[in-house]
Amino acid sequence: MATTASISISSDITESVPFSVNASMTMYQAGTTLDLEETTGLAQRTFSGNTTQVTLIDVSATAVTAAAGGHKVYIRNTGTDKTKGFKVFLADATDDTEEIGTLYGQDWMLMPWLATDANEDIMVQPSSSDKMTIEYAVFHQ
Amino acid sequence: MATTTATLNLSSDMLSSPISITASSILMKAGITEGLELIEMGRGTIAETDGSKTAEFGLPTALGADKAAKLFLVNKATDPTYYIDIDLHDTNVGRLYAGDWMFIPWGMNDTVSELVIEAEPSGATCPYEFVLLQEPQTLVAHS
Repeated sequence: MATTASISISSDITESVPFSVNASMTMYQAGTTLDLEETTGLAQRTFSGNTTQVTLIDVSATAVTAAAGGHKVYIRNTGTDKTKGFKVFLADATDDTEEIGTLYGQDWMLMPWLATDANEDIMVQPSSSDKMTIEYAVFHQ
Repeated sequence: MATTTATLNLSSDMLSSPISITASSILMKAGITEGLELIEMGRGTIAETDGSKTAEFGLPTALGADKAAKLFLVNKATDPTYYIDIDLHDTNVGRLYAGDWMFIPWGMNDTVSELVIEAEPSGATCPYEFVLLQEPQTLVAHS
């Protein structure tokens, strides 16, 4: 039951030295070479008329094994408008939120997620009250 | 305009209906359609004995609030038990085990946006590579 992810980044920021990086990984259970075995599947959520911070991925509702260490989270702003974005936040055990960054139209992210505590949810905040859609998935132990 | 593209291919056969995701984005400055202009990349090593360290890449206060930046970070260790613990200031994000990579937008708004890394468990040494793509930083007056 393999889950693999590969990334390719290419850039001409440095005109004289074109840049590219490629990497791939197989998602394993923490500290092993055993495949991750659980997922939320790919989900989608649409926001409209809302610019407040809301919970996107709730630790308690995701059935992750707390602090197991192998969890991965994928999130993408499915819109095409580069002027509108979702700020993504991570809450800590005291429910204090730390901003990770903003996903503008078509931007995506893939990151590890420790989910040590029931409060450590992932939150998003749309920049516009217009209709905006985000897709996400958690691959976990 | 510089063009930087980040593409993801993700597949999983956990479900009876396999997941296959292809996502691609041209990385722009915050809220506009101008490409990112600054790239910083490199390789480092962190050992468990180093303790918790602020990553040497990126300087949040130089970029300023609400600017766009993207960070790619990969743990190049080969021992599957070795991992890099990732914190945003004092909030624990997760662990990059050997071979794992992450790609995130990074809101380098202020000093509490710092990325903190730590190698674990006891005895671990983790080489890592990073690429930071961002908007131009504010130039600092010379001393």
